[in-house]
Amino acid sequence: MLLVLTIHFVVALLAPLIFSWLGRSGFYLLAAVPAGSFAWLLSRYDDVMSPGGDGGPNAPPTLVIEWIPNLDVALAFRLDALAWILSLLILGVGALVLFYCARYFKNTDVALGPFGSQLLGFAGVMFGLVTADDLILLYIFWELTTILSYLLIGYSRGRLAARRSALQALIVTTFGGLAMLVGLIMIGESAGTYRLSQVIANASALTDGGIAIDVAIALVLLGAVTKSALVPFHFWLPAAMAAPTPVSAYLHAAAMVKAGIYLIARFAPGYADTVFWDPLIMILGLATMLVGGWRALRQTDLKLLLAYGTVSQLGFLSLVVGLGNREAALAGLALLLAHGLFKGTLFLVVGIIDHQTGTRDIRKLSGLFRSARWLAWISIIAAASMAGLPLLAGFVAKETVYSAFVHQATSGAGMVMLAGIVIGSILTFAYSGRFVWGGFGIKQGIARTDFAPASKQLLVAPLVLTAGTILFGIHPGPVNGWIEPYMRQFPDGPADPYLAIWHGFNLPLLLSGVTVAAGVLLFLGGRAVSRFQARFRPVFDAERGYRTIIGLLDETAVWVTGRTQRGSLLFYLFVILTTAIVVPLSAFLLGEAPLMPTHWRWFDSPVQAVAGLGIILGAIGAIRANKRFLAVLMVSVTGYGIALIFALQGAPDLALTQMLVETMVLVAFVLALRSLPAKVWRREAARHRVLRAGIGITFGLVMMLMTMAAMGSRTAMPISLRFPELAYRIGEGKNIVNVTLVDIRAWDTFGEISVLAIAATGVASLIFVRGRGDRRRRADGVKTGTVDRGQENLDEFGREAAALALAKKFSNVARDAWLVAGRTLAPERRSIIFEVITRLLFHSVVIFSIYLLLAGHNSPGGGFAGGLMAGLALAIRYLAGGRFELAEATPISAGLLLGLGLGIASLTALAPVLFGGEVFQSAVIEGTLPLFGHVKFVTSTIFDIGVYLVVVGLVLDVLRSLGSEIDERSEGDGDGSMPVARKEEVGQR
Amino acid sequence: MTSVTSLAPLAVVLPFLGAAAAFVLIRHPRIQRVVSITVLTLTLALEATLLALAWDSGPQAVNLGGWLPPWGIVMVVDKFSALMLVVSTSVSLAVLIYATGQGVADGDEDGPVSIFHPTFMILVAGVSNAFLSGDLFNLYVGFEILLTASYVLMTLGGTGPRIRAGVTYAVVSVVSSMLFLIAIGMIYGATGTVNMADLAIKLAELDPGTRNMLHLMLLVAFGIKAAVFPLSFWLPDSYPTAPAPVTAVFAGLLTKVGVYAMVRTETLLFPGEQLDAMLMVAAALTMIVGILGALAQTDIKRLLSFTLVSHIGYMVFGLAISTAVGLAATMFYVAHHITIQTSLFLVSGLIERRGGTASIDRLGGLARLSPLLGVLYFIPAMNLGGIPPFSGFLGKLGLLQAGVELGTPLAYVLVGTGVLVSLLTLLAMARVWNRAFWRKPEDAEFPDPVLLATRSSATEVGTATAVADDTGKGRFPGNGEATLLPSGMVGATIGLVGIGLALTIFAGPLFDLSHTAAEAMLERAPYIEAVLGEGAVDN
Repeated sequence: MLLVLTIHFVVALLAPLIFSWLGRSGFYLLAAVPAGSFAWLLSRYDDVMSPGGDGGPNAPPTLVIEWIPNLDVALAFRLDALAWILSLLILGVGALVLFYCARYFKNTDVALGPFGSQLLGFAGVMFGLVTADDLILLYIFWELTTILSYLLIGYSRGRLAARRSALQALIVTTFGGLAMLVGLIMIGESAGTYRLSQVIANASALTDGGIAIDVAIALVLLGAVTKSALVPFHFWLPAAMAAPTPVSAYLHAAAMVKAGIYLIARFAPGYADTVFWDPLIMILGLATMLVGGWRALRQTDLKLLLAYGTVSQLGFLSLVVGLGNREAALAGLALLLAHGLFKGTLFLVVGIIDHQTGTRDIRKLSGLFRSARWLAWISIIAAASMAGLPLLAGFVAKETVYSAFVHQATSGAGMVMLAGIVIGSILTFAYSGRFVWGGFGIKQGIARTDFAPASKQLLVAPLVLTAGTILFGIHPGPVNGWIEPYMRQFPDGPADPYLAIWHGFNLPLLLSGVTVAAGVLLFLGGRAVSRFQARFRPVFDAERGYRTIIGLLDETAVWVTGRTQRGSLLFYLFVILTTAIVVPLSAFLLGEAPLMPTHWRWFDSPVQAVAGLGIILGAIGAIRANKRFLAVLMVSVTGYGIALIFALQGAPDLALTQMLVETMVLVAFVLALRSLPAKVWRREAARHRVLRAGIGITFGLVMMLMTMAAMGSRTAMPISLRFPELAYRIGEGKNIVNVTLVDIRAWDTFGEISVLAIAATGVASLIFVRGRGDRRRRADGVKTGTVDRGQENLDEFGREAAALALAKKFSNVARDAWLVAGRTLAPERRSIIFEVITRLLFHSVVIFSIYLLLAGHNSPGGGFAGGLMAGLALAIRYLAGGRFELAEATPISAGLLLGLGLGIASLTALAPVLFGGEVFQSAVIEGTLPLFGHVKFVTSTIFDIGVYLVVVGLVLDVLRSLGSEIDERSEGDGDGSMPVARKEEVGQR
Repeated sequence: MTSVTSLAPLAVVLPFLGAAAAFVLIRHPRIQRVVSITVLTLTLALEATLLALAWDSGPQAVNLGGWLPPWGIVMVVDKFSALMLVVSTSVSLAVLIYATGQGVADGDEDGPVSIFHPTFMILVAGVSNAFLSGDLFNLYVGFEILLTASYVLMTLGGTGPRIRAGVTYAVVSVVSSMLFLIAIGMIYGATGTVNMADLAIKLAELDPGTRNMLHLMLLVAFGIKAAVFPLSFWLPDSYPTAPAPVTAVFAGLLTKVGVYAMVRTETLLFPGEQLDAMLMVAAALTMIVGILGALAQTDIKRLLSFTLVSHIGYMVFGLAISTAVGLAATMFYVAHHITIQTSLFLVSGLIERRGGTASIDRLGGLARLSPLLGVLYFIPAMNLGGIPPFSGFLGKLGLLQAGVELGTPLAYVLVGTGVLVSLLTLLAMARVWNRAFWRKPEDAEFPDPVLLATRSSATEVGTATAVADDTGKGRFPGNGEATLLPSGMVGATIGLVGIGLALTIFAGPLFDLSHTAAEAMLERAPYIEAVLGEGAVDN
């Protein structure tokens, strides 16, 4: 079995190669695969059918390969009689259809490779579907047929109708499929096994379990109903006729749509008496049979006529198969085979007509009976079988169906069913006649259609199928034997039913007679019927229903998305903050409220209170400020206030770092602000102001409340209490903060310096855009006194402008520079005092920063603070001497600093591993140096050097990007001249 | 402790070294590329070894710097974290190769690539750090690393739309980080520790009200990162504007780190079912609202961003069920979704390149123009749409089984929502296929010249036409010949689609792994004892 599947899939995958090699004749090779499998299937006949000792069937051939034991999914296959019969149809018709394709398509047709591959793959998948013995595996194959059907319907992808129908078929059948999946899982979970044969065998134990199984079965049936195109899901099938005709013949007549029937047949032996079974199958089946037959009578396209005929027959089939007794089982499977044989034939015939004449419109075809005799006779035989005329397969099957329903007609419902089936069969007879007449009849007033003689190979497939129809019709004995084992799964009936041409004069025969007579009348009165149909529009159009649902779905989608996806950051923050307020607060309202502290005080010292007040005022000021610069200053106030609180709490390290960070941030802000408008632009000054303020304040209060609750419910001693001891004894340092940063929690610091490095890169990339802009600026070629001029946007007659003019007047270019590149600055920008101070301070500050770095282990400082201090030194150089001065001060590029810093840190992390320690494990090196005496060096200081370098790199990047680069851009081409606009102004004056 | 497991921190250190090298080599893009790819390959090899070792053993802890927990920082390698490491680094490597292929094809020697490499390395390091961390504050650091790197990547190229999207993204992320930090502060305030194993013990000693409050705070913070409804709106507004490889890696990894953190929170820190109902509702709404968003889109990248949000719902689904089956399914689903969602974004990058746009209104005929592209889209798209036998289906199968097994009404609602969203995802993906791949290119509305270009005229068209937000420059900035589909990009995509298929084929062992992982996580003791030593649980 696995071999059959594997060959199908492997050859399917190779199909594109085969086609590029053989052209359309590649189909012959493809056809050989199902044909060979068909032969194999016949050879397994005895294994499948031979009865065991107790009269029941032997265990049929099975195969189980474990796949996902945790989900209870296995590749389990089982070839029992039911699977065998369906495989016969699937592989047989599959081989014939592929054979037919070899002459149906032209070598010039596009995408034959994928097409052939999908069609052959479909045969394999379908075989897998009927032999699968695992509920999930069954679903897998089920859904694969859906996808392949989607691809095959969409073969003519250039046509909108084809694409739309493909999608519609996909969605409708997947909808049912997913319902079925849920049903299967419910069954599997309550049965404790997903093995299909066991689920069926243990049905009685399961069905006692209550409503769950009933619902599960209903869901499974929903899958069958959509797949087999029963009302109200029938509309996808006629639309699917957009597929090439061989596809319609195979998927939408002989094989795929039978999957639903197969599923009903598979579950019928165990579950036919669950609550929803009869209502679903009987009502929908009967309705489908009648609706399909009725609609078929209206069609003028031969293919659509057959499609509606198929819908009708599928309703019929599910009705019979779903009845759930021996006689119905026999009749159902016989009808299934008969239908496959005649409907396959008819579709292939339509394909030939279409192929040779270029039309399949009844109103255009005429006289084909004369020009295509073979074809006409094949059609007549197949249609006669469909209509249920004697000596053909359809008749044998229908007789047994009638008999089964006659036996059921003891109740009112049974009578209705019987009557419905008879009416349905009359309709079938009529549209069968309409097909033959429409396709081959000689019609008055219509010119005889040209019919190019068809290739003989095209006729092979319909001929073989027709031979099957006749053979089955006159010698139904073997079929009887095939179905026998399946039939025995149902409880004993009064007498064993069997298929035969002649059962004697009885009620079923009479009903057949009635069917034929009424059918003839209906066919002859065709014109009256169509007039009646034209007047009588269907009340409910299922396809329109589908469109409406999809339309509503799209409208809902747009509506919901429009409501939620506002594209406004304010709205998103509103939602997030509200959630952050409401959700954690719900812990207070629902269930037990958190413990609140019993006693608390406002502040530890008055200075703390002042600092706190300052922070609050700073925050309010930042919001209220109408100028950006003021807002930034106010933010700094909050920052310095926090530094003050740190200092008051006895954390000089934190205070120092916070001060330095705040200063750097202020510098960065001020530099960046130069390229922004001075005033804050308020788009919605008044709107939602109260709401926004409310949310902000509430958020703050709620967080405070929760923090109090958290502190109040402390149960354990914090781990930090042991940090001083750990830091001193193991970390060999007196500065707990620093030891924590570079040793105990060095890993955090390690991560954070990468954040710094990447933040620096981010700033640089936003300004330089095309890279980090690490190329060095050189002051050599820059003319003296040309840089940093004319960028200010001042009021012409304001005080600042006047001051600037004055400065220009008295400034002197010839003055000596205290700084290397100070000469490049425009004279009015230079300040002698600033230059001198910078000259004096720079080196001291840098040395101090190195002191902070090295001393940090035992006293306040550390790599971070040190790096910031060095950064401040650079900032002073930049402010005093301009961008060329900054470049002169830093011979190493910022990128290199970042890289070196990160690299040193990473290597410090790794080095201990080489010595057999843990990552970041520190060591103490002690020794006596000539000058310094006894020296104790902890290796974690090396890590701190990495931190130092990264921080310097960050500051440098900020100065380079927000400072130098913006300077240069605002000066235009950088030659120190005024911007063009200003020049013109001057000129006019 | 096995000696190899003690090398786990190298999963973070190696990319950091790679980033350092990339900084130093910033002027040598070619060497930079080789170094980055080598480093990630080494990292992946290491992580694969970790996974192989974790396969048969319980959680293992590594004390960083040799400091004992709860004082020092600890890393924990268990099945879940090892699996996440391997999947995330594989995906990152594929994206890196893809991006490199794009850069090489366009001859972009001095372009943003020089920033891209170090930033990407640090992003990978941050993600790995978050997966490995056994310390709540260090988890925060991991988040900071990956977020900062993501801000830079998001605004690469500095175009208007990217800056705008970047602002939304950065502000929302900073708010979520702030919430996380506040939560850590509160947790430390209440328990006096940030070591997760230690917390697992000490949180249980708190009064239930405070515990719930802390639990909810963390969930909100992680919910933003994972993009759980209603904290998900920012995502579709920010991801799609970034360059394709960046969006791909964001979509694949970043939200999953949030999901990972949620899983750890729910299993290790706050066991029990108090909030399962709330999570179930959130899961259902995330799924539904997300997929409705996808249906309303015509831009493939935006559409995929919405499916991303929607499918986060599936992961929360399994988490909310909080049985071993559900948790195992969530883990499998995370691994699946990282791979598939990234593949799809990479494919959408290829589509954008081949068709000149990612809007399905303006695309057509791609299946004929490039059958390979068709296959590369179709397989992951069907996978995402829950078509069996692919991994997406298997993950959902696990979730549905868990839901049905639980059997509460709310669980059934989730099951129903789950299959409905699966159907709608399929609809969204098939619509793209119908229009962008099936219909004739001529039928597209205002097709881009590149779409109609042949291989020979590509250079001309590519350099002659400019993309709207990239004014002045030709579309393919390289000087030489323009390649419509460069082999590096296609190769990386094929590789990732292949990994997706491997997830399907080896679903058996993977589910086995995640199931044992889930059982151990629900039991909690193995994790806690791995960190704090034997007998810690009883104290």
